[in-house]
Amino acid sequence: MTRPENDHLLPVADGARMRAVLRELVAPQRSRAVLALVMLVGGAAVSLLTAPLLGRIVDIVAQRRGADAVTGPVLGLVGVALGQGLLAVLGVALVARVGETMLARLRERFVDRALHLPLERLERAGSGDLTSRVTDDVSVVGEAVREALPEFARAALLIALTLVGLAALDWRFLVGALLAVPIQAWTARWFLTRSAPIYAEQRIAGGAQQQQLLDTTAGLATVRAFRLRAQHSARVRARAEHVVALAMRVVRLQTRFFGRLNAAEYVGVAGVLVAGFLLVRGGGATIGTASAAALYFINLFTPINIVLFQLDAAQSAIAGLRRIVGVADLPDEDRPADPARPADSRVRARGLGHAYVADHPVLRDIHLDVEPGSRVALVGASGAGKTTLAKLVAGMHRPSTGWVDIGGARLEDQDPEVTRGTVSLVTQEVHVFAGPLAADLRLARPAATDDELRAALDAVGALGWTAALPDGLDTVVGAGGHELTVVASQQLALARLFLADRPVVILDEATAEAGSSGARVLESAADAALRGRTALVVAHRLTQASSADVVVVLDAGRIVEQGSHEDLVAAGGPYARLWSAWSGLRGPGTGETR
Amino acid sequence: MITNAGGGYPPRMPSSVARPHTGASVLRGSLGAFRGRLAAAATLFCGHQTGEALVPVLVGVVIDEAVGTGDPAALIGWLALLGVDFLFLSTCYRFGARQAWHADVHADARLRMQLADRLLDARGGAEAGRLPGGLAILAVSDAKRVAIVSFMLPLGVAAVAAVAVAAVSLLTISLPLGLLILLGTPPLLWLVQLVGKPLERRSGAEQERAAQASGVAADLVTGIRVLKGIGAEKAAMAAYVGTSRTALGATLRATRAEAGFLGSVQLGNGLFLALIALIGGRLAADGEISVGGLVAAVGLAQFLVGPLQVFGFVSARLAQGRASAARIAEVLGAGHTVGEGDAATPHRTPGGALTLRGIGGGGLDRLDLDVPAGQLLGVVVPDPAQASTLLRYLAREAEPGSGRVELDGTPLGAYPPDLARTHVLVAAHDAHLFAGTLVDNVLAGGPGDRDLDRVMAAAQADQAADSLPAGRDTEITARGSSLSGGQRQRVALARALAADPAVLVLHDPTTAVDAVTETRIADGLREVRRGRTTVLVTTSPALLAVTERVVVLESGRIRAEGTHADLLRDDAAYRALVTG
Repeated sequence: MTRPENDHLLPVADGARMRAVLRELVAPQRSRAVLALVMLVGGAAVSLLTAPLLGRIVDIVAQRRGADAVTGPVLGLVGVALGQGLLAVLGVALVARVGETMLARLRERFVDRALHLPLERLERAGSGDLTSRVTDDVSVVGEAVREALPEFARAALLIALTLVGLAALDWRFLVGALLAVPIQAWTARWFLTRSAPIYAEQRIAGGAQQQQLLDTTAGLATVRAFRLRAQHSARVRARAEHVVALAMRVVRLQTRFFGRLNAAEYVGVAGVLVAGFLLVRGGGATIGTASAAALYFINLFTPINIVLFQLDAAQSAIAGLRRIVGVADLPDEDRPADPARPADSRVRARGLGHAYVADHPVLRDIHLDVEPGSRVALVGASGAGKTTLAKLVAGMHRPSTGWVDIGGARLEDQDPEVTRGTVSLVTQEVHVFAGPLAADLRLARPAATDDELRAALDAVGALGWTAALPDGLDTVVGAGGHELTVVASQQLALARLFLADRPVVILDEATAEAGSSGARVLESAADAALRGRTALVVAHRLTQASSADVVVVLDAGRIVEQGSHEDLVAAGGPYARLWSAWSGLRGPGTGETR
Repeated sequence: MITNAGGGYPPRMPSSVARPHTGASVLRGSLGAFRGRLAAAATLFCGHQTGEALVPVLVGVVIDEAVGTGDPAALIGWLALLGVDFLFLSTCYRFGARQAWHADVHADARLRMQLADRLLDARGGAEAGRLPGGLAILAVSDAKRVAIVSFMLPLGVAAVAAVAVAAVSLLTISLPLGLLILLGTPPLLWLVQLVGKPLERRSGAEQERAAQASGVAADLVTGIRVLKGIGAEKAAMAAYVGTSRTALGATLRATRAEAGFLGSVQLGNGLFLALIALIGGRLAADGEISVGGLVAAVGLAQFLVGPLQVFGFVSARLAQGRASAARIAEVLGAGHTVGEGDAATPHRTPGGALTLRGIGGGGLDRLDLDVPAGQLLGVVVPDPAQASTLLRYLAREAEPGSGRVELDGTPLGAYPPDLARTHVLVAAHDAHLFAGTLVDNVLAGGPGDRDLDRVMAAAQADQAADSLPAGRDTEITARGSSLSGGQRQRVALARALAADPAVLVLHDPTTAVDAVTETRIADGLREVRRGRTTVLVTTSPALLAVTERVVVLESGRIRAEGTHADLLRDDAAYRALVTG
């Protein structure tokens, strides 16, 4: 069911890129990582002393050297316990420190790149893909770093050292033990080729589930109003059931995998016992040596299973990591080699056109001039291309044809950061960032003092209600905090605009969702925020158009009329008709013409 | 749409009697739902552990009976028995794990559905104070942590059984050794529990912080367009790094506790092994047990490390599971914002006369309002907060502070919320569009596609659809952000009209729509809603022009009323308000 969305998902890194990024991340704490490794090797080496010490006890018994001779090796075992415990504490803590720090840096890089994703890309992928990566995948990788990695390293070291010990007893014991290896190798291969596609499918199903949960939880009020409970419940259920079905396929595969590993264990232990039988019968080894060899091998069961089973955890961790790195590794924005800088705030567009879908242009051949410090209003029917034009001028989308220049420098020749430092865009998208109100405002100007924040709020007429908030500027707002009205949220957006203080400002339907009663409050707020700037305003309330220096009328992606309000009203064209419909002249007279 | 509303509702009962949810009850419920599977899994895991415990015992026998004697027949015979043991333990694990895993993943899905159902409850209230991203995490990660207890519990039971089997084997080999194991293990387990306790607290705090970091990340991603608009990516990133570092600090503190725990478990196990070696070695040296017996005893002691570590592991997962269960219980047990009404309320089709009597709260001041059945009423509210309060009361999103809303003389609160919303539909101006095609969204609230073309035309949504690449079948992505504001608003309006309620309350339905289209919508709306009660909360002159009557609300009460034309002519304040 998620198939159609797959093409749109964000990139997944390949193995080489992933390793390169990991190397980059480990570099700053290389010495700590080495120390962690030393602790783990030390821990494994110490724990390996257990078997020889027990073998010593067997020998003492076999040689009948008396009960008190046992004390020495037992004290050795106590030492082993202490060393093992201490090294485990240090090793695990250090590995976790290295791993968690890398993970946090990776997560930060991920968010950084995610925030710099082109909007078109993000909207196609859906925010669920991104959030599932930042929550689910980070948690899977985190668990691997915290649990699988140290365990895997310890077990692998233990196996290597034990095999050496077994060979030291007699090489033929090693031969007996190695009989298990072909079965294990084949089993691992068999498992990994089958598990990889299921894990991939599991990730996708997890992402789809997260997307559905976000869609449902973010729209609960609408779900209630339209009584869509059953439908949403069914959607969540369908996603959950898909996840369950995949999990059951995984467990069936895993248990067959373990069955094969048990067979390998049996072959190995029987091999060692047969080797011991032959050696003892031929006089090549004592019964004590044969016992020690058998003990060695029995002790290998757990570490071998850990290593092979962690292949599995490693595989899911790697899948998650590749999805995280896929985003974290997205190229930084293109920066022209020799960036042009805007000389002033004049905005020009020539031959501008755009199509979201090939052969479906929404904007055609736009020529537009906005003089520095002037205000241009965009007017037109819904879908006429106003929003697209605003996004193109703000540099949010790249035009399909033509170009935009600001202050004599074309947008594609500018450093994107310079563009964002020149142009602000406020859209109808209302979002109050979760956290203290002051932190929300400081997103626009991080160094702003409290007084500057208050001045900005005052300018947009929001000082009154913000002062009345329970904790003033420190009140936690946004989802999960103090709920703000749409008008208040839009006032905040305008206050941010004020604080960002860019010479060019684009206002796209900024008052649209506020409701008509709040619109006037916001109009004067917008007026204050736009004062002294070059402004392109997408006007729905025609009063906004009437106060602009130039009115541009768009229809079906083309400019059909432009000029001052008075000239256009006098011209009697499309704008004049819009104006009479709007200005209430339809009231007493035309209202009756049913 | 609400065919289940008839008999499906339980008898009226005050919402305070709702079953309390605690972390323990959530965990118990999750385990109890799959009792049979868990019992089967525990039994099979016990079989597996018994088989595992028998491996060193049988190896000891092979050494005594075959390697020691040089008898090939004994070698073949005992190795065959060892093979049978392996077959047994392997089979037990395979089917035990399937049972346990079944319980685990189904418990996971069950918790997710419980959370979804609580969040979707018509009486609301579960999402208050929580981020949508945080709720999604709760339904995924926390549910997973609670569910994994279903897998861990049979493992723990089997570990107990393994200790028992090992002890019995050891008792047969030697009474003192067996007693040592039996008496030594409980204090060791108690110590493991003791060390595990603080981990539970740490783990809870860690998850809270980590959830916060993810919540902030999700919040930033949601507001990404706003960030980009003011070039605040860097500042947002700096803020996120702060949150991320705090989360890292919490995680590191938790892992230090975990490392300490792991080290203590290893130390305890190692010392216990040394003790067994000491007693066993002395007994063997004194000739009380055979060399094979000693090998078996030491092998069993080593084997015991496994189940004992399982105890540690299981208790850590149990600790995490408890912390997550408590978080889930908070949402499941959240209070409802409105009552569930009375299922006995007559189920006839309402005429649509809406009456407000003495409504107070949220800026409203004992508001009285009568809307006769079939009227198209305009309500002009200059204060957005008062408008929002009024709409929340009508939508049954909140209970009025005082007074009541009546539909045909029956209090709206007497209807079950779903039924109330079927009769009185409030279409918010910020209504959410959901994943699916455009036409799916329009039909979501309606009885069928009977009136589809009519309502699409009335809302001018057909025109909006025409400008989209796939028309009516265009997929709506990420809350409709792929549509323009005007397109989104017209699709939402078409959905409200398609629902065809007895009373339709529309809040600023055309603010993102241009003036010409708005006029067409006003005419379409009047046609589609002819004879049906419709309340337009707006100040748009184009919409008010088609109403039969307009009331103006100020300071929570009706300040003026009349036709739009009269008010426009006679009331200067009104004129300024709607055309200003």
